[in-house]
Amino acid sequence: MILEIITPESKLFQGEVNSVKFPGADGSFGVLNNHAPIISTLVKGTIEVVDSNNENINFDINSGVIEMQKNKIIVLAD
Amino acid sequence: MANLKEIRIRISSVGSTMQITSAMKMVSASKLKRAQDAITQMRPYAIKLTELLVNLSSTLDSSEGGAYSENRDVKKVLLVTITSNRGLCGGFNANIIKKAKSLITNEYKDAQTEILSIGRKSSEDFTKNGFNVLSTHDDLYSDLTFENTSEIAQSIMDSFTDGQYDKVVLLYNQFKNAATQIVMNESYLPVETPEESEGSVGDYIFEPNQQDIVETLIPKTLKTQLFKAVLDSHASEHGARMTAMHKATDNAGELKKELTLQYNKARQAAITGEILEIVGGAEALNG
Repeated sequence: MILEIITPESKLFQGEVNSVKFPGADGSFGVLNNHAPIISTLVKGTIEVVDSNNENINFDINSGVIEMQKNKIIVLAD
Repeated sequence: MANLKEIRIRISSVGSTMQITSAMKMVSASKLKRAQDAITQMRPYAIKLTELLVNLSSTLDSSEGGAYSENRDVKKVLLVTITSNRGLCGGFNANIIKKAKSLITNEYKDAQTEILSIGRKSSEDFTKNGFNVLSTHDDLYSDLTFENTSEIAQSIMDSFTDGQYDKVVLLYNQFKNAATQIVMNESYLPVETPEESEGSVGDYIFEPNQQDIVETLIPKTLKTQLFKAVLDSHASEHGARMTAMHKATDNAGELKKELTLQYNKARQAAITGEILEIVGGAEALNG
């Protein structure tokens, strides 16, 4: 699946990933391939990305929103 | 006719002014490029955010922005004026200040108005002329980030929900191109609910729920709106300065040409005078 992390100042990440873990408003949750469409708000925390080479990349955010649809995740973070 | 030395001094002073203005033009051009890049970087975020909000709120029965969209009788107005810290950029700052004053004396003359100014030029002008200045944020430009702008946006939103103001208006220069800035008078709060659209939300799972998501999205769009206004104004400032300095350089060039012509005429007149004197003297000697 494709992940895009956008902030008002730049595009932090764009690419193919295996799994992502988000700091959701109701607790953290993970998203794997072919997850159902979801829109959720995020709170202060870390986005843990496992990319297609199985490497871990972390992003710290203050807040945000994610939208997942058709195997594409867009994260609006700040 | 002015004497030669005076003209020579003026030519060299015009020449050095020309060097300064053309250097300032170059500096503004490169800063303008960076300011424009910042706008381009922000655009995908802003577009996606509005798209989400419009989609979500159009399917929601009570498409309300909660406390931020409450329409009250306009008794107290906050004007947010966005100008620059430095001058020498044509009518850039004067236009905003003029617009703010005309709003205060005409449109909002029955209401109480206060000013929140971003940029030293408007802060100084309004303080000097005895307007109610709530606060100034002149140091924003030294570190222009979304985070710093958000803090200002948050304080504006808080004072609106507290009932301190019934309406908040943004005044800034919108960036059209390097030579054109449009003075914008944008309503900031209360939030106008997004127009009804044929948005299809599809089968989404909502975490925690649709209403809550809309409520967290609205402050985000407000912060983005202010950030966009500040970035626009920043790019406009450099565009305006570039144009102003370009004109100044052109004028200096013309002035220099005129002065050189004058100088040459004076020089020639002096030489002719000398020759006449010598010839006259020789004639007298020959008898």
